[in-house]
Amino acid sequence: MIYIQNISKTYQSGIIQVKALQNINLTIKKGEFTAIVGPSGSGKTTLLNLIGGLDSPSHGIIKIDQTDITSLPENDLIDFRLHHIGFVFQSYNLIPVLTAKENVEFLMLLQKKEEDQRNERTIQLLKAVGLENQIHKKPNEMSGGQQQRVAVARALASKPDFILADEPTANLDSSSAENLLDIMFKLNQKEKMTFIFSTHDSRVIAKAQRIITIDDGQIINDYYR
Amino acid sequence: MIVKIAFKNIWRNSLRSCTVIMAISLGIFGGLAVISTATGLSKMRQNNAINSYISHIQIHDSNFLAYGRLTDTIVKQKEIVRFLQKNPIVSGFSSRIKIETFIQSAGGTSAVILNGIEPINEKKVTDINTKLEEGNYLSDYKRKPPIILSTILATKLNAKINTSVQCSFVNPDGEATTIVFKVVDIFASNNSMYDKMNAFVLIDNLKNTAHKGVHEMAINLKDESYVEEFRTTLISQFPTLEIDSWRGTAPELGYADKMMHLVLIIFLIIIMLALAFGIINTMLMAVLERKKELGMLLSIGMNKNKILLMIVLESTFLALISGPIGLSISYLVVTFYEDTGIDLSFASSGLKSVGIESTIYPFLDSNYYFIISVLVILTAILSSIYPAFKALKLNPSETLRTAN
Repeated sequence: MIYIQNISKTYQSGIIQVKALQNINLTIKKGEFTAIVGPSGSGKTTLLNLIGGLDSPSHGIIKIDQTDITSLPENDLIDFRLHHIGFVFQSYNLIPVLTAKENVEFLMLLQKKEEDQRNERTIQLLKAVGLENQIHKKPNEMSGGQQQRVAVARALASKPDFILADEPTANLDSSSAENLLDIMFKLNQKEKMTFIFSTHDSRVIAKAQRIITIDDGQIINDYYR
Repeated sequence: MIVKIAFKNIWRNSLRSCTVIMAISLGIFGGLAVISTATGLSKMRQNNAINSYISHIQIHDSNFLAYGRLTDTIVKQKEIVRFLQKNPIVSGFSSRIKIETFIQSAGGTSAVILNGIEPINEKKVTDINTKLEEGNYLSDYKRKPPIILSTILATKLNAKINTSVQCSFVNPDGEATTIVFKVVDIFASNNSMYDKMNAFVLIDNLKNTAHKGVHEMAINLKDESYVEEFRTTLISQFPTLEIDSWRGTAPELGYADKMMHLVLIIFLIIIMLALAFGIINTMLMAVLERKKELGMLLSIGMNKNKILLMIVLESTFLALISGPIGLSISYLVVTFYEDTGIDLSFASSGLKSVGIESTIYPFLDSNYYFIISVLVILTAILSSIYPAFKALKLNPSETLRTAN
């Protein structure tokens, strides 16, 4: 469960103060397939970064289960992200010098998991995203869709509590985007994995169970389907 | 995995990495080449001086060096001779009488130190006998006592073999004395300063001038490394005499040696600084180019210590690749020239004036290979810390947002 209480975020842009988020209150339950939507600059990515502990709010508290991540020291926060949060980025952000298998395995290595355990889960995840035949390929040998599927497998590898996906389909062609969404939706349905998307892709919105609309840093609509 | 990523990262921009590797390798080679040449020069100068005129150890009466009086001869000379004859580490010794004289010929005049020597013994401590034009080491002469002049002095006096020269000095009784010698041979050592000031005659021809005593005893040992120890033994045996190793007899050689070491240290620091700036520049470029990736690594949970380790490992790998290349090139080149020598005959006259031959044989102590290896790795590690801290200061959300 993610609790967001009265969150505000203000940036300093030169001499101007930009209010990216204002008084956001939100609860996201385990197993939700949530889309945060809104126009560019509305604060979607800022909210996602705050939930993921990549940025700290100017005011307010974010609790993930019982942990107040806004008060965690930096190193503890990095460790928290490693064990509790999975990230999927718009431009895949795989480690270019590693193969698909090694990219997926990487987080488990950081978690100091045993080799057998790592191998088994890596193969299982790459199968789940349909890339069992591409395990030895490096990112530059794969299509954008394939890279993003590796990114999803990597995000799942650490067995996180939830996955934050920032515009995951923005750089993909239509069929790759559909394919990726199907995979994520299946994982949500089968394993009750919580997904939180920041998007303005109608295909993502169409699949989401809950849609939170943000504009000018404020939630203007929040509903379940 | 971090080691693997670090190693693979250096090949992401292979052209840049290869350029840095080449630069480091050439830097190491350049440094070692200069060090080996300088060491070779210094050793040659030192060996030339020891072999030509200093020898390993010299004994004098303590007043002779201070006042240069002819009466200040070495006491207990026979005891010293017996001591030296019994000692197995002594390879040779020779006694000398030294007189400051005024030498004249029909063609010119000059001040010169007349060295009265025992040719058979002298051959065991100096190599002037090998630097003679005719090979007549005061052995073949008729009526007039023989003298050997240097090429420089002979030119100045306009003297040749068989020319008569006259040496004038004040004897120990305060009387003006003149001895006429006949030039029997001409020598040329590797030190033109020494050549200008020295001439050789038979010790017997000067004995009356020094009350039958000698002014100087030169000793050579079988191994140069015994010098200081043997000098201490001699001092304990003959405490009233002035006993110096070649370092004391020719302190300029010791200073030159020390100065050379200082210069080499400064040179090494310069090489390491150049290496450090090269690595800092490369690693900073690598960090700035990979901001997005580093932001991603921090986002997904790679802690800062591991990021630091990864960047330090990258520069260490650069050093570990270029170090052996630079060291190997240096080893091959130095080993080759150690045998063949570097021909500097175009500057032979200048080199000769400071006691150096025109062919230099580089020499590199094996310790330098080890020292350079350690320094290169240390420099690489230290140089990567600044770029690594730059990476650690990255804000993951900012780098990802900028990149996206």
